[in-house]
Amino acid sequence: MVKVEIRNLNVWFKTNHVLRNINLKVKENSVTAIMGPSGCGKSTLLRAINRMNEIIEGCRTEGEVLIDNQNIYDKNTNVYELRRRVGMVFQKPNPLPKSIFENVAYGVKIHRMTSGSKIADIVKRSLEEAALWDEVKDRLNDSALTLSGGQQQRLCIARALAVNPEIILLDEPCSALDPIATAKIEMLIRKLSEKYTVIIVTHNVQQAARVSDYAAFLYLGELIEYGPTRQIFENPRNELTEKYITGGFG
Amino acid sequence: MKPIMRKLIFIHKSLREEPIILILFLCASSSIIFISLMFGFLTMEGAQAFFTFGINFLIGRTWETNANLYGALPLIYGSLMVVSGALVIAVPLGVAAAIFIVEVLPFTFRDLVKSLIELLASIPSIIYGFIGLVFLAPQIASFFRIPSGTVALTASILLAMMSIPTIIGVSGEIISSVPKEYREAALALGATKLQTIKTVVIPVSKSGILASIMLGFGRAIGETVAVLMVAGNIAIIPEPPWNFLSPVYPITAVIAMQMGEAAVGSLEYSALFGLGLILFTITFIVNTLADVIVRRESKFKGGVKR
Amino acid sequence: MNHLKEKIFFAILGIPVLICLAAILWIILILSTGISTLRWELLTTSVLQGGIFEMVIGTLYLLIGAVGVATPIGVLAAIYLVEYSSKGRFARIIDQALNNMAGVPSIVVGLFGYTFFSRLLGLGISMAAGWLTLMLMILPIIVRGTEEALKMIPSSFKEAALALGASRWRAIHSVVLPAAAPGIITNILLGMARVAGETAAILFTSCVLVTRGLPKSPLEPVMALAFNLFVKITVLGESSERVFGIAIVLFLIVVSIAAAAIVLRIYYRRKQPWLR
Ligand SMILES: Nc1ncnc2c1ncn2[C@@H]1O[C@H](COP(=O)(O)OP(=O)(O)OP(=O)(O)O)[C@@H](O)[C@H]1O
Ligand SMILES: [Mg+2]
Repeated sequence: MVKVEIRNLNVWFKTNHVLRNINLKVKENSVTAIMGPSGCGKSTLLRAINRMNEIIEGCRTEGEVLIDNQNIYDKNTNVYELRRRVGMVFQKPNPLPKSIFENVAYGVKIHRMTSGSKIADIVKRSLEEAALWDEVKDRLNDSALTLSGGQQQRLCIARALAVNPEIILLDEPCSALDPIATAKIEMLIRKLSEKYTVIIVTHNVQQAARVSDYAAFLYLGELIEYGPTRQIFENPRNELTEKYITGGFG
Repeated sequence: MKPIMRKLIFIHKSLREEPIILILFLCASSSIIFISLMFGFLTMEGAQAFFTFGINFLIGRTWETNANLYGALPLIYGSLMVVSGALVIAVPLGVAAAIFIVEVLPFTFRDLVKSLIELLASIPSIIYGFIGLVFLAPQIASFFRIPSGTVALTASILLAMMSIPTIIGVSGEIISSVPKEYREAALALGATKLQTIKTVVIPVSKSGILASIMLGFGRAIGETVAVLMVAGNIAIIPEPPWNFLSPVYPITAVIAMQMGEAAVGSLEYSALFGLGLILFTITFIVNTLADVIVRRESKFKGGVKR
Repeated sequence: MNHLKEKIFFAILGIPVLICLAAILWIILILSTGISTLRWELLTTSVLQGGIFEMVIGTLYLLIGAVGVATPIGVLAAIYLVEYSSKGRFARIIDQALNNMAGVPSIVVGLFGYTFFSRLLGLGISMAAGWLTLMLMILPIIVRGTEEALKMIPSSFKEAALALGASRWRAIHSVVLPAAAPGIITNILLGMARVAGETAAILFTSCVLVTRGLPKSPLEPVMALAFNLFVKITVLGESSERVFGIAIVLFLIVVSIAAAAIVLRIYYRRKQPWLR
């Protein structure tokens, strides 16, 4: 089943044409990796899926992004509901300067999903899903900023999970983390795909190979190649892709 | 002991390499020297008044030059009254405007509006005083049907007009320094702009805004010429004390009006310096508190840059 | 629904901004009612013949002198704070002293200037006493502004010079200072705008109502627009054409200095890529 379909997507920052005619179908309950050199538009592509590009001054988007066959760029799309359905985790962990509990509960409260003791249940469930519960269960009222980098990143994942998303976007979630924290998050990503559709941007080719079912290679704003991860890695059709995954880009 | 020795050796070494450091160091220390000198001289010149009247210099209710009686309570009250009136008007308006400019106004207008407001802040207080006296006071008089428009209310309104640009400037700076990551975190979870402002931007910048209000208070209580021209300048505590339609005589106005006539070394002269010392102390405390707030905040937030 | 509520709320937030913009218009409107009193001769005619020549020049003398004293001290202090001081207790005390200095009411600065510069140092009611008193008011502005300008210069600039064997001071004054110059000048201009209309600080230290011609030495008193305006309105109770003329000229001087500062800042922020 196709969960996300991107059609003829073009994005400009002022006059800078950052994404050129992207077409891509993402399957439900899979992990799709987006790779490419720095500045090629990976983050922008990801942010086009929850319309986070809109908050940037001078950004213009054309084309369609369909989630469950609904174009999210339609006039009558509720963008706040959309962002609830499409969770996002950023490159640098960005917990809010609130307690651990409040961070996870934030989205739930914003969307008035439940109240009272049910919120505590949701917080617990989300932290468990993000494999963080055991580490923080005794200090839920501490500031989230007291957590380590890897813990903060898992907290951000838990925060996104708490609002019942369908799709999770991860923008280089491990780039600020050490190998052990990275391994934990990679394991988590595999597990998340049982329930959610996961799209992950990564710089790291090995990581893409380890965690993803499908992989896309982006270069200078164009989608060069897209397919099952194994095929991309074992049998790339494009020369550029091959060069990139064998480290030829330096 | 040891670190000091090490530091001295270090200073000695770097002085040999670059004697210019000594000059730089002296310039940097000048602020400490000046502020101490100010405190010292105000205290010295004001001492006589404090010795003569004791605590009554602060809580006495009569300020009369002819009787050589100096009790500053009506003046202190007048200053506080005018300033609190001004802040009640200026703080909500200023903070709201700052939020609007930073969070709502499209980027293309932002620079322009910010610049215009900065210009507004640069207008000298004597001009505000002139406008207040010639245009605002008559309006107030006719609106409230009182014989003279130079009353506490006029001073408060004028002072509010003067403080709003400053409050906008400082709190705008603080609001726009809320890290982009925080806003993105909230927005990506589906928060609306308004929710983001309420649940992230304001809580994060709360203490900074508080500090900016304190700075605004310090500025306002030290404002002289504009206030002097429209406050009425009668050394009384209004009846009832919240009667904003009564004239008052703020501290700064007293100093400015009486200094010219006070004979050097007289009790009056000393009393005016005593008033100066009171003002100096008030602003010193307020500024230090604002400093402490900002510093404590940045320590708490660890990762947040200021 | 949510959207509408938000729009209304934001519209309400915008009202104070409109009030501010309206206030600017209002002030300009009021002042422009007096524009008819403004003739070129007013500026060039001596006070003794009914002009305001000495006041304008006196104001400029005061400004330039005050900035002349404050700039070297302020810039050197900022260099020390940014480039040399370890961020220890000393730096914190200086920081606090600067904040407090910026917060001292101008009338109190004036009192201090009178007892210290005019009386103790024997400068009397003079331009020099005014310079020093006003210097106390500008100093924090210049130090803060210069600090900020210096911090914005990427350290790679300085490191490049250091790598070529320049001493630290050499690297700073040959590479860092020139790069920071526009930022520093902006703040000097802002400091000037601040004191050009300052009245309370020069009330007791350097001004008189009328002088015979321009001051011939820094030890002579001087006339200033702000001071004259103040005395004419509050003490003499004048509301003649002359007062209006003085107010407009003072307004124009201050606002053009401030506008120059703002324009310069915007221009250089755009021009210099490392400033975002
Ligand atoms: N906020 C912005 N304003 C203007 N241009 C931007 C903005 N964000 C990104 N760009 C431009 O868009 C292009 C793509 O940026 P993007 O962040 O999507 O790249 P990326 O592939 O995620 O790179 P990286 O691996 O470094 O994160 C770049 O050329 C960048 O300069
Ligand atoms: Mg990126």
